[in-house]
Parts: sequence; structure tokens; C-alpha cells
Amino acid sequence: MSGTNASTLTPEEPEAPTNRPPSMRRIKLWLQRPYARKVLILTVLIGFLLLPLCWLLLAAMNQTGAPASDIMKDIEQTIFVFTLVSIPITAFVFAVLLYSLLGWRRVTGDEPPMQDSPAIRTNTIGVILWTGVSSLLAFFLVVWGLIELAQITANSYGSISADEQPGQPKSEIINVTGQQWVWTFEYPQHDGLTSDVLYMPLDRPVYFNVTSKDVIHSFWAVELGIKIDANPGAITQTGVTANKVGTFNVRCAELCGMHHAYMQTEIRVLEQDGFDSWVRESGGKKTS
Amino acid sequence: MSVDTATETKRVFGVEVPQPRQFGASGGIMRRLNFGTGLIGGIGLAAIAGWVTAIITPSSASNDTFAPMEPTYVYLAVLLGWAIGFMLGIGAFVGPLRWVVGRDITHDDAEYMAGKDLGRARYWKYTTDHKVVGIQYLIATMLLLGFAGLLAMLIRTELGMTWAELFSPSFYNSMIGTHGIAMIIAMIVAVTGPLGNFIVPMMIGARDMAYPRLNALSLWLLVAAIPMLISSMFMGGIQDGWSVYQPLASQAPIGMLGYQLTIITFAISTAIASVNLMTTILTMRAKGMTWSRTPIFVYGIFAASLMGLYAFPFFQYSQILGLSDRVFNTSFFNPLNGGSVWLYENLFWLLGHPEVYVIIIPSAAVALELMPVFLRKPLFSFNFAVAGIVGVVALSGLVWAHHMYMTGWAPAANYPFMLSTEMISIPVGFLVLVAIGTFWRGTAWTRLPLMAIYAVIFNKMIGGVTGIYLSDVPVDQYFHGSMFVVAHFHYMLMGAGLFGAMAGIAFFFPKMTGRILDERVGSIGLWTAFIGFQITFMSMFVAGLQGQPRRVLQFDSQFNISNWISTIGAYVIGIGMLIFLAAIITSWRSGAIAGSNPWGSKSLEWQTETPVPLENFPVLPVVTERPYDYGVPDPYEAELDARDQDLTEKAGIK
Repeated sequence: MSGTNASTLTPEEPEAPTNRPPSMRRIKLWLQRPYARKVLILTVLIGFLLLPLCWLLLAAMNQTGAPASDIMKDIEQTIFVFTLVSIPITAFVFAVLLYSLLGWRRVTGDEPPMQDSPAIRTNTIGVILWTGVSSLLAFFLVVWGLIELAQITANSYGSISADEQPGQPKSEIINVTGQQWVWTFEYPQHDGLTSDVLYMPLDRPVYFNVTSKDVIHSFWAVELGIKIDANPGAITQTGVTANKVGTFNVRCAELCGMHHAYMQTEIRVLEQDGFDSWVRESGGKKTS
Repeated sequence: MSVDTATETKRVFGVEVPQPRQFGASGGIMRRLNFGTGLIGGIGLAAIAGWVTAIITPSSASNDTFAPMEPTYVYLAVLLGWAIGFMLGIGAFVGPLRWVVGRDITHDDAEYMAGKDLGRARYWKYTTDHKVVGIQYLIATMLLLGFAGLLAMLIRTELGMTWAELFSPSFYNSMIGTHGIAMIIAMIVAVTGPLGNFIVPMMIGARDMAYPRLNALSLWLLVAAIPMLISSMFMGGIQDGWSVYQPLASQAPIGMLGYQLTIITFAISTAIASVNLMTTILTMRAKGMTWSRTPIFVYGIFAASLMGLYAFPFFQYSQILGLSDRVFNTSFFNPLNGGSVWLYENLFWLLGHPEVYVIIIPSAAVALELMPVFLRKPLFSFNFAVAGIVGVVALSGLVWAHHMYMTGWAPAANYPFMLSTEMISIPVGFLVLVAIGTFWRGTAWTRLPLMAIYAVIFNKMIGGVTGIYLSDVPVDQYFHGSMFVVAHFHYMLMGAGLFGAMAGIAFFFPKMTGRILDERVGSIGLWTAFIGFQITFMSMFVAGLQGQPRRVLQFDSQFNISNWISTIGAYVIGIGMLIFLAAIITSWRSGAIAGSNPWGSKSLEWQTETPVPLENFPVLPVVTERPYDYGVPDPYEAELDARDQDLTEKAGIK
């Protein structure tokens, strides 16, 4: 409002004649400076050095047979994407650190150096670029994370009735109880059959109702990528569909007293036939 | 009130100046009190309180689970007796006790309490001079770091010896809990204590802190708290990690009381120190020191104090409630009687996350403070540095539940908390921008303090990036409670926090001790520790990625290799830290004498003589220019700016 008023009241001022080059031109000029190029080249080099290093570290995740579910696959994918996004910024910062020691001048000695450095108090283009890029990256990571979380939540707390549409595999419900220092798995759909090893059918959604008898534990099905605290006096829920036959690990991820370290058990993911015969042999009712 | 004709006057510059009226005589018993009488008072009152409690408690006293309560009451009485007796014995209550009898601290006594003409004895007393308090904080911090570091070595030894069980599981659990909380306390005071007290008043051109007696009180409360923490190790220990989640903590032996009282005492100490620092910074800056002329280190200390001031009460309340559950049989956190475990987790992390920034922000501020001195150029974008700190403070209280993604407390709340947590990377990004902008084209004077900053920024980048992983709920679903988290927060708290504190100590060492920190030995120590640090915590990241939960003393053999490497690295850190400590001790005793301004800094604290006189400045300084006015005009920019200015003026634009 005031803007329009101002423009009507005062005649438009002539464009200030200036020899100061426009921003894009300034960036071009800047890129011609030798140190700027060297820092950027160093950034690329460090980036390509960091990439395989990170890959190597992240490979540790698959040591015992992960991912054994879509959730774990999503998690690994997210970690890879985050690593890719973080590497350029990290590499740039490391490049500046390195170049400040190797490229720009370096002095030693006991007396403060007499030669002063250029007094760069700010740089509008640099600040805008940095803020813009870092905000965009943060925004990207947030959006990626929110979508991923919504997906995983839909997979782990899916409503049971929706899953029992014709053609959908029937879901399995397992009540998980933590107590110092063992896990107990109860199968309410099979006459309340209980087990201290987690048997799961392949390719069928499994929903867990998790609680604790004493202190807080945390139910972590490592290779399946799910984790939820077992709280005394409350039931928490999660769920997963295993897509790989094999033996995996359940560990307690919350310090729960003296033998916390030993509070672990196995997950055995079996084909439907194998799961049914395990249920039969253990005395439970066969799935309808 | 009538004018007292008997008021004393004193000739100052040939003018008779009336002196304030003194209530009561000077001297007396307060001049005989020191650390020794504090110990006597503390141990004496602890013994008496414990003995009396043991007599008056019926031996049949028990709680609702039929556990005998007598040891609880006696230990509680001993701890309270110790704290009160120690503070009484060292003279913390001299002022209030004099008020009760209608007297006050006289001018002579105030000078005595400031340590005037006391020589070395003033370091063992309830001294109010901020420089003495700073040195006392430094020693207390180093002792606490040494104790907690020793526990770290024992923990890594246990984890490295995969073929044997060196400690019992309960003692191992008690070690990790004590290591955690001792390190957290040490790191919270590591910069704000020694440097905040010693340097900040001089940096803003003040004669002392705003409340000198409260300053001494905050220090000696911390000192009183340390024996309580250590004593708990002998009373069954803190077997529940530093976070002492309920209801596990209510199962713990009576050593938990030591933890609870330590936290309650330390929270009081922090609140007092925070208020003192904030008041000093707000009201006692030198003439002309506007906010844009205030050094960034002062902003950092102010931010840390502000966050500590609002965050610590949550922690204190949580421990008061826990203490009440244990002693008075209430059930705030006991789900069997309607309590909530999530209540405890919320209260705890309402402290827990701001506290991380209480540690990180001062160390970042140290980095930004000393970089201009060693690069001989101004801080790149002072406004962005301030904006970064303000942004972190603003968001610090809105992110706590990212520690609770997997607790099932409120799954829907994970969305907003993920958003707020990832937003923190923007203000932190400002601080990184200021750092690399200051490095940009600077001639690096590669002395030890600046070299430590390279280490700090390196570690902070790794800690920051892994923090982004952990802020993401799906990823946290894998990492939460694993060794990955442990590696991440050690990168932040130790890699950035402790190395930043070491940089700060090395930088301000000449002002604090009058001697230069041995460059060669100090550097060897620093870089040995740095290399050990990378080995230890990189392989700990791997252990976390493999799926090793934290706080376990035995684990699958698949984690053996990463744990062996980690333990070797830990010993390297230990050796490096000992070398650095040796550099500090030998330089303090017999290092090269430093001039008053060995780094050629333009900041106020370096303009007064070393050793610093009692009231810092003979005449209070007046500030006339921005901080960090180093450097020569950038030839390229200057040319452009001059042309710009010229053309603008010609065009008649204001």
C-alpha cells in the first residue's frame, strides 16, 4: 500500500548508474580466482573420497542378513540418501579447512604475525548462497523424512480390517512381553501359544502389541528394522512384514538392569507351511 | 533517615569522600575458614546426622515392598549433613549469619573475601574474586574429567576384553552411569566455569561479577556435589545409565540417592551461576560496549546460561520427584500405583537436549572468538554468528522428544519433533558459515589454540551430519539405543565440546596463569588424543551400524573387531590426554613467562596487565570500535566499494 503511494508521490528515480558487475557476473569473476577454483576442485576430490568411505561404513548394516523387510530397506535407503546429501557440504567445509592450512599463507613463530589478512566482514552473495542451499537441503531432508515416516507408520500400524480384504494375506498378531531379562511372545490367534523365540510367517503382516512386566525395555527386531519401547503399564504397537526366510535377532535396546546385555533372542522367519507346522507341533491351533 | 555525622571519609584525589557505614566489626571467625574447615564441617555434620538418624529410625521401618528403609534414611542424612556442613565450614553462610545478628560484611571483610593480599591461600577459601573462582572451576573440572575419564578407560577395557568378564554386570552398569553423569557435569562447566568466570568480566570491561558471593557459592556447591556423586559408587552405584530412567531407578540400590542429591545440588549451582553471568553481561559491560561491539564469546556464554537456567529445573524436579518416590513412598513414576514412566522421560529430556547446546555453544563461541586473533581478520558476518546462537537457543527447548521417538509416548508427535530437530541444522549452519568465512583467505598463525579449532570443526561436522540421521524417525528406528548414538554424541560433546574447551584453555592460559602453554608437548597431546578419538568413535559408528545395542558388557562375536579397535583408540586418547595434562601442569609451574598480550589480541581482557590485578583495570575502559578489527581492507572489495560509493554519490542517492 505504502509502496504504491510512494511511487505515485515521487517520480521514479533513475536507475543508479554503476560499474559494479551484476551478481552472476561477480560469481563468474570470482570463479576465475585461482584459490576459488582450487577450493572447489578440492571439494570434489574430498567428496569422491568420502563417498566410498561412507559406503564401506554403511555396509556394516547388512552383516547379518538385513534388510529382511521393506521397512529396513526403506531405512537403509534413507541413510544412503542422507549420506549423499551431506557429503557435498561436509566436503566443502573440509576443503576450506585443508586449503586454509595448505593454500592460503601459513605462519608460525612466537610473535603475532604483522601481515594482516583481508578484512572480509561479510559477503552478500556467499551468505545468500549458503543460507539458501543449507535451508533447501534441510527442507528436502525434512520432507523426505516425513513421507518416509508416514509410509513406515502405515506399514506398522495398518488397520487390521483393511488388511483382510480379499486377496490380502491375513495378518498375524503377536503379544510381546518384556521382563527382566527375557522376551515372551504370545500368539492370541493360536490359543495363546507362547514362545521365547519369535516365529514369524513370511510375507504376512505381523502386528506386535508390546508391553513390559517391570521396567522399560525396548523391543528391537534388528534386521527387520523395527523398534518400540516396552513400557510397564502401557501397550505400544508396531508391525512389519518379513520378506526373507532366515534367522534374525531381537535385542533389548533400553538399559533394563543387570542382565540387559543378555536380553536377546532369535527371530525365525518361516514359510507359511513351516510356520503352520511349528504352530501345530507347539500345541497351538492351526490358522484358519 | 538522618545523615550520620560519624560517617568516615576517605581522601580520594584530594577530595573527602564519605564512606559507606559499616555494621559490626571486621574479622572474626570467618577469616579462619577454608577448604580444610569445610571438610571438617562436612564430615563432622555427616557423621552426626547419620548417627542421629540411625538412632531415631525404628529398625522395622520398611516401604510398601517390605524393603528396609533405614539405610536409605541414614545415607540421605549423611549426604545432606555433608553438603550443609561443608558449606557451613567453608564460610558460605557468613553473610546471612551476620545479617541474623544485625551485622554485615564490612568493607575490610569484603576485601578479605576477594582474596586481597592472601597469596595462594585464596584458592583454598570461599573467595569472591572472579579470577580465583575461574581457576577453582578449572581445577574442579579437570579433577572431574580425570575421574570420569578413568571410568571411560575401565569401560573400554571391559568391552575390549571380549574373552573375559572383568567386572560384574552391576558394577559395569554403575560405571557407565557414573561416567555419563560425571562427564556431563564436567562438560557443562568446562567452558562456562573457568572461562566464563575468569574471562567474561574482563572481556566486557568489568571489575568483577555482578554477585561475587553468589559466584563463590556456585563453585563450592559444585565442589560439594562431587563427593556425593563419587560416594554413590560405593553405595551400590548408579546402575541405570546417566539418564536413570524410571522405574528401573527405583529398583536401584541406595547409591541412587547420591545421584539425585548431586543433581539437585548441581542444579542450584547452575541456576546461581547462570543468573550471575547473565546479570553481569547485561548490566556491567564497559561504556561504549554496545551489543554489536560485544565479543561473540560473551554471546555464547550468555546463551549457555540462559539455556541452563530454563532447562535445569526440569531435571531438578524429576530428581526431587524420584527422591520422593524412593524416600516417601510416593508414586510419580511407579506405573503399578498409577505413575507414569513417560512423565519422567519428558522431564529428563526437557533438560537433556538443551543441555547438549549448553555444552556445544560455549565451545563454538570459543572457536569463533579466537579465530580472528590467529587469522588476523575480522569475524565473517558477526550478525550471522549472533543469529546462529539465537536460533539454537530458540529451538533448543522445542526438540526434546526426539530422544523419545521410540518410546511410544506419542507417535503422532514424532512428525513435529522431527521438523523442529532438523530445523536446528539451519542456525548451526550459520555458525559453520561464520567459521569457514573467517578461514577464507586468512593467513593462519598455526599455534596450538587455532590448530585445536581445526579439530573441533572436523569433529563437529561429523557429529552434526550423524545428528541429522538420528533426527530422522525412520532411521532412528534402527539407530536408537545403539552404539551409533553413543558415537554421535561423543563426537558432539567430546569431539566438539572438550576439544573446544581445550582450545579455550590453551588460548586463555597466558592470561590465567601468566605463562605460555608448552606448544610442542601440548600439540603432541592434542593430536594424539584427536587420532585416538577418530579410531575409537569411527569404529563405534561401525558397531552401531552392525546393530550393537549400547550399555551392554557382553555382545555377539560379530561386534568383536569393532570393539577391539575402539578400545585401542580409547587408550590412545588416554595417552594423549595425559600428555596434554602434563603440558598444562609443567607450563603452569615453569612455563615461559607470557607478556600481557602474547597473541596480539584487540579484545579487552588482553589489555590489562598479567597477572591481572585485583579489580582487573586501573581505570575502567571505554570501547570505541567493533571487536575483531583486524585485517587490511580487501584490495578487490575495496576497489569495488569505492567505485560503488563514488557512483552512488554522483547519482545523488542517499
